[in-house]
Amino acid sequence: MGTTASHLPKDLLSEYQELTFLTKQEILLAHKRFTELLTKDEKDHQNTRVPMDRILTLPELKSNPFRKRICHVFSTSEHKDGSLTFEDFLDLLSAFSDSATLEIKSHYAFRIFDFDDDGTLDGGDLEKLVNCLTGETDDTRLTPEEMRQLISNILEESDIDKDGTVNLSEFQHVISRSPDFVSSFKIVL
Amino acid sequence: MSMFPNSDPAHLAFTEDTIRNEMENEEQNLVKELVALSTRDRIRAIRDLPMSFEEKKHIRSQVLTFKSAKQSRQFTCFADCSENMSLSFRRCGYNVRSARQTLELWQGIMKEIGGTFGTSVLSYFVFLKWLLMFNIFSFLVNFGFITIPALVYDPSPNIPLNVSFRGLEILTGAGYFNYTVMYYGGYSNETLVGLSDYNMQLAYFFTIALYMVLCGIALIFSMASSFKKNYVLADSSSSSAWQLLCSWDFNITNERAVKQRKNNLRVQLKESLSERAQGELLTLSEKLKHFGIHLGSWFLSTGLAVGCGVGIYYLCIYEKMHTTDAANWSLLQEAETLLVPFVVSLINLGVPLFYSLFNTFEHYSSQRKQIYALVVRNVLLKMSILGVLCYYWMNVVAEKFSCWESMVGQALYRLVIFDFFFLMLGSFFGEFLRNVMGRRLLPCLGVPEFDVARNVLELIYAQTLAWIGIYFSPLLPAIQILKFFILFYLKKVSLTQNCQPPRRSGRAAQMQTIFIALLFFPFFVGALSIVAYTAWSLTPSEQCGPFRGLNNTFSVVEVWIDKLETIPGSQWVVWIFQNVIRSEIFYFFITLIIIVVIYIFWQVTQGRKQLIVQLRQQIINEGRDKSFLLEKLQNLQKSHKKPKQKNHNKRASRRSDEHSSGGQSNSNAMVQALLARQRIEDEEERHRAGGVPVPSDISNSSALAQAMLARQRAEDQNKDSYQMSDRHSSSSIALTHSIQVAMVQGRDENYGMSGLSENPVNTSSAVTQAMQARRRAEQHRADDTDDLPSSVSSVMMQVMQARQRAEELPQNPAPAGSSALIQAMLARQQAQNEYDDGY
Repeated sequence: MGTTASHLPKDLLSEYQELTFLTKQEILLAHKRFTELLTKDEKDHQNTRVPMDRILTLPELKSNPFRKRICHVFSTSEHKDGSLTFEDFLDLLSAFSDSATLEIKSHYAFRIFDFDDDGTLDGGDLEKLVNCLTGETDDTRLTPEEMRQLISNILEESDIDKDGTVNLSEFQHVISRSPDFVSSFKIVL
Repeated sequence: MSMFPNSDPAHLAFTEDTIRNEMENEEQNLVKELVALSTRDRIRAIRDLPMSFEEKKHIRSQVLTFKSAKQSRQFTCFADCSENMSLSFRRCGYNVRSARQTLELWQGIMKEIGGTFGTSVLSYFVFLKWLLMFNIFSFLVNFGFITIPALVYDPSPNIPLNVSFRGLEILTGAGYFNYTVMYYGGYSNETLVGLSDYNMQLAYFFTIALYMVLCGIALIFSMASSFKKNYVLADSSSSSAWQLLCSWDFNITNERAVKQRKNNLRVQLKESLSERAQGELLTLSEKLKHFGIHLGSWFLSTGLAVGCGVGIYYLCIYEKMHTTDAANWSLLQEAETLLVPFVVSLINLGVPLFYSLFNTFEHYSSQRKQIYALVVRNVLLKMSILGVLCYYWMNVVAEKFSCWESMVGQALYRLVIFDFFFLMLGSFFGEFLRNVMGRRLLPCLGVPEFDVARNVLELIYAQTLAWIGIYFSPLLPAIQILKFFILFYLKKVSLTQNCQPPRRSGRAAQMQTIFIALLFFPFFVGALSIVAYTAWSLTPSEQCGPFRGLNNTFSVVEVWIDKLETIPGSQWVVWIFQNVIRSEIFYFFITLIIIVVIYIFWQVTQGRKQLIVQLRQQIINEGRDKSFLLEKLQNLQKSHKKPKQKNHNKRASRRSDEHSSGGQSNSNAMVQALLARQRIEDEEERHRAGGVPVPSDISNSSALAQAMLARQRAEDQNKDSYQMSDRHSSSSIALTHSIQVAMVQGRDENYGMSGLSENPVNTSSAVTQAMQARRRAEQHRADDTDDLPSSVSSVMMQVMQARQRAEELPQNPAPAGSSALIQAMLARQQAQNEYDDGY
C-alpha cells in the first residue's frame, strides 16, 4: 500500500503530528488501516464517516468489552451513532497511544466508563462497567447481592466527598494510585 | 419560548446572551493564554487539551491567526528566521521520534504477547529487552576501549604451540580461549605506541570503573523513576476492587484471552468480596497452624539455601585439588571443570521449582505476599550460591593459580554458558512437560501459567554473573547478548505453545519496580563490591594481564599520578588526587552532608504525609457540608411544595438534554441552583400573599447564602468537568442560573424588605464579586493545566473566599442559623490558608 502515503498531504500529516501523540509511522499506518475500512466510492470523498459496526471489525477493537463505548466517546457525529471520521480515529489512537499523558488517558477512561454520559459514575454506571468486565450473560454475571456489595465497596474507596457518585477528579485520584493503568490503557495498531 | 414556558422574555434573552458571551470569552481566554506560550509549550498544551480533533484544530487555527496578526504588526526578518528554525527543529524532532520507533526491536512480537497474555507477562519481555540493551552498551564500551586497542596492537593471540582448538572450549572456555582477548590474561601491560600513546593499564582500569559507575547511575535512575511512578503513589489497600476495574488490559485483542480474562476477573472480584465478608475470622488454632507452616517453610528454604552454599563450597575445593596450574589440560581434566557449573545450574533450576511447591500448602492473606515470599527465598538461594563462589575465587583461586584472574573468568564463562542451557531446559521441563502433563496425564494440574517472578529472577542472576565477570573477562557481555537474544525467541515460543494467560492480574508495574530494585540492590551492589574488592585488595597475578607486577590494581592510578607530577600544567590533577580522592576528611564531609540532606528530605516527607491526611479530611468535610446543605434545602423545599416545581424540573431536564454530552454533568449543580431560585420565588409569592411563616430576613439571607453555595457547587463541578468538551455552554448555564438566582433575590428583597435599603446594592455587589472570583479561578485553572494539584488548591481557596465574601454581605440581617454556618466556613477557610502557607 505504498500509494496510501501519498493520499495524506504533507502539511496535513505534520498537522496530525502536531495535534496528536502519534508519530508519523503510526499516522500512516492508521491511515492505511482506515482506508481499508472504506468502500470503493467512499474513498473519493474527504472526511467520510465510517459507521461503528465497520470500525468494530478491526481486530484491535473487535473483542474489547468497551468497544461500543469507545466509539461513542470518540465520535463527533451529530447523530450519536458512534461513527468515526479519520480524525476521530486518530483521536482515539492518540488517547490510547504510548505517549499520551495520564491526564488524557484518565479523562477518556472516565468518559468510556460513564455509560449514561452524565458526567459522574453512579451506581448504574458501575454496574454496567462490572457487567462489561465479567461478561453480560446470566451465568457470568455477579449476583445482585454481590453487585450491591461491590458497588458499595467501590464507592467507599473512591467517593471522597461522599455524594454517592464518583466524579472525574475522584476517578483520577483512583487512577493515579493504580500504576498499571497507563500500561494497560493502550491500543496499538 | 416554548422551552422556557415560565420565564419572561427579558430573562430568556439575557440567558442566551450570557451563554454566548461566556463561551466566546472562555475560548478567547484560552487562545490568549496559548498565544503567550512559547511554540513548543503551545504545541504541547494544545495536544494535551482533552477535546476532539476538530476542536483542537479550531483552537490551533485561532491561535495561529492571532499570532500572525500580531506578528505582521512587528514583522522582522529575525522573527521569521527563528520561526523557520524552530519549525525545522520540530520537524527534525518528529523524524527522530519516528525513526526511533522504526528501530524499536521486536515491536510486533511484543504486541502479540501483550495481546494474548496481558501486561504482566509482557513486563518480563520488556525487562529482557532492557537487559539486552544494557549488555549491548557494555559490550560496546568494553570492546571499544579495551579490546580494539589490544587487537590493533597485537592482532594474533600468542598461543603456546602445544595448545590447539579442540571444540570443548566452547563449553569450558578454557584452553585455547585462555590466550585470547576473551580473558584478563590476554591483555598486555604495555603502553601501546601508535599515533598516540595508549596506556593499556589505565584504559583497562578506567573503562571498567567507568562502566560500573554508569551502570550504577542508570540503575539508580530507572529504579527511582519507577518507584516514583509505580510505588510511592500506589495505595496500600491491595484488594481494592477499583484496581481490578481500572486495570482492564486494552492491549488484549485475542478473543479467547478476553474471555479468559473476564472469567478470571469475575473470580477475583468474587474472591475479594468473600474475603472482605469473612474478614479475619480465623481461630487461634488456625492461626497457629498457619504460623507453624510459615515457620517450617522458611526454615526449610533457608536451610536449603545454606546447604546448597556449603555443598558448592566443598565441590569447589574438590575441583581445586584436581586441577593443575599447567598450560595444557587433558580432555578429561577440562571436562571435570564442568562439574561445578553443572551442579550450580542444576540447583538454580531445581530448588526454585521446589520452592514453588510450597505455595500449595502455605496460605498467605494476599497473592502479593506469596510472590514476595517466593522472591525472597529465591534471592537468598542465589545470593548464598554466588557468595560462596566469590569467596572461593577471591580466597582460594587467587592463592593457587599463577594467572588466577583468567581462571575466574573461565569459571564465570562456564557458569554463563551452563546457565543458558539450564534456562532452556527450564522452559522445557517447567513449561513444556508441565503442559503435556496438564493436558494429557493429569488434567487437574491444568495448563501452566508463565511464572513471571521466577523467570525474572533467572534473568537477574544471569546479569549478575556478567557484572562480576566484567573485570575478569571483558568480552563476557558479548556472550550475554547472544544468550538473551536466543532466550527471547525461546521464551516467546514456549510461552505461546505451552502457557495460558495468568489467572490473576497482579500488579505488573509494581512487580517491575521490585525487580529493578532487586537487580540493583543485592545483585548489582554485590557485583560492584566484589569487583572493587578485587581491584583494591587483591594482588594481581604476576605472569599475565595488564596489572602484572603491581601490588594491587588501584596502584595503576598512583603510578599515573606520580608520572603526571613531572608534567607541568597537570598539577591540579595531582592536587585533586591528593586532597580529594585520597583524603578521609573529604569523604567524612561528603557523608555528613548526605546524611543531613537525607534527614531533611525525610522530614519533608513526613510533613507531606501529614498534609495528605489533613487534605483528605478536608475534602470529606467539604462533602459533608455539601450534603448537609442539600438536605436542608430539600427539607425546606418539601415544606413549601408548589405546583411550580414541576415546571422548573422540566426546565432543568430540558436544559440538560440540550447539552447532553457534557452539559449533563452540570445538571446536578444546575438543578440545585434552580431549586434555590425556586425557593426564593416561592417565598416571594408567599410574601405577596401575606402569610409569612419564617421571618423574612432569615429566609432572605439564608436563601442568598444557599444560592451562592449552589453556584459554588456548580462551579466546583464545572471545574471537574472542565475537560468535558462543551464546557463553555455548561459553565455559562450554571453562571446564568446563579445570576438569575441573585436577581430574583434582589427582586424579592425589593418587595419584601423596604426597611433595608442597601440590600439591592449588597446583592449586586455579591454577584459581581462572585463573578470576579470565578474569572480569577478560571484563569488560574487554565494557567496551570499541567500543574493541576497546585491550581486546584488555589482555585479552591478562591472559591472559598468568594463564598465567604458572599456570605459576609448579608451579615447585618443575618440570623443565628446562618451565622453558625458562616463561622464554620470561616474556620475552614482559615485552615485552608494555613495549608497553603505550609506548602
